[in-house]
Amino acid sequence: MKLYTVKLLTITCEILAQKNIIEILKKHEITGYTTYEVDGNGARGVRGQGFKNEKNVKVEVIMRDEKLQGVVEEISRTLFANFAVVLYVSDVSVVRIEKF
Amino acid sequence: MDIIQLIHSNLLTPVILFFLFGIIAARIKSDLKIPDAISEFLPIYLLAAIGLHGGIEMRNTGFENMFIPMLVAIVLSLLFTLNHYQILRRLGKFNIFDSYALASTYGAVGAVTFSVGLSFLKNQGVTSEGYLAAVLAILEPVAFILAIFLTNMAVSKQIRAKKQSFTKDTVSDLGMEIEETKTKLSQVLHESITGKAIVILLGSIVIGYVIGESGFGSIKIVFDEMFTGAIVIFMIEMGIIAGQRLDDIKKVGVFLTAFAVIMPTFNGIIGVLVATAIGLSLGGAVMFGLLLASASFIAAPAVLRHTIPQANPSLYITSALGITFPYNIIVLLPIMFTISTFAHNTEGSIDLFHYVMKDLM
Repeated sequence: MKLYTVKLLTITCEILAQKNIIEILKKHEITGYTTYEVDGNGARGVRGQGFKNEKNVKVEVIMRDEKLQGVVEEISRTLFANFAVVLYVSDVSVVRIEKF
Repeated sequence: MDIIQLIHSNLLTPVILFFLFGIIAARIKSDLKIPDAISEFLPIYLLAAIGLHGGIEMRNTGFENMFIPMLVAIVLSLLFTLNHYQILRRLGKFNIFDSYALASTYGAVGAVTFSVGLSFLKNQGVTSEGYLAAVLAILEPVAFILAIFLTNMAVSKQIRAKKQSFTKDTVSDLGMEIEETKTKLSQVLHESITGKAIVILLGSIVIGYVIGESGFGSIKIVFDEMFTGAIVIFMIEMGIIAGQRLDDIKKVGVFLTAFAVIMPTFNGIIGVLVATAIGLSLGGAVMFGLLLASASFIAAPAVLRHTIPQANPSLYITSALGITFPYNIIVLLPIMFTISTFAHNTEGSIDLFHYVMKDLM
């Protein structure tokens, strides 16, 4: 079976930044993503306790290399300064490249 | 000594004791925690109960007499928000974003505080006007909308000033930015009006109005008799969250700590006196004062993180939940109750109001 290499962008951020991220994805015509609630510790202290609004969320998006630069650039520019965000990119392989 | 006594007896009610217990549990690093689903459910339940009561009362008393109090509440809330901003910006030297975020947090209302106020009045055997639930719903977005509007104005003014210092011919670009700000504002308006707190509150008011006293009988056990018990459970959670934030209070600073105590006192007392002057009952004046004294800590972060993301959320959450909320429910409620009792017993309550206003001018 042939596998195609694409990019996996993983963003861990505060739950209130999730909407902004999904809007950015939409703007770049990416409609598929997965999110899940997480907690942990980081530069802004232990997160995930207390109010739901203060929880963290992890967003995973698979996309082609061409779109990656634009998305990462926009997230960095609009969200890094004011929100708790960590993002990283990894290479993954998929079977059905036409889906991404 | 009356006030001290009232504070003392208020301190020994289950609502306050469980709040303090929650703080202690958090301080000794217990793993005690109210399950997420329940702590998300309880505010919805409390708002539904408040709304139903309000709706039923409004059916009994009619709602023509609620417009003046509502209007007065909106005007006061806006004035207070502007006042907070000036104090924070000029005296507190906070940056523009933190100032607006804090100003609106303190201009907005706290639904949890409102519930505690209702159970406090129940303890004292005093009732309040049902339409205050509708005032709660209307006030919820008012302060935020003002603060967001003013922040956007300030930001676009800054952008304009910056652009002018660079080039002269970026007018179209500028127009686009302003257009963007406008859409943001209408989006906020939509989001805050369709937010879950307002929707459940207004929905329950309408349902309460439709079903009336007779229809309420079948659900009374859940929405009336369990009300204080539900607050108690929620207060454990509030205590735990407040307890976890006690260390942050040091970071908040002396100025904001003082602000978080003095402002609610001032707003609350003005609220009680104004409400008395426009003819609200003893309990109604206390609730009216509480509406103006309370700070928002559940709705505020959700709204402000999106609209004024530059503001530091730990400032407004910590001061509203860690300082103002306990102060309001433990100390300020009995104070306002005493003032309201005094104002309602004196014939010249209107004179007192004028006297205080003159003093302020």
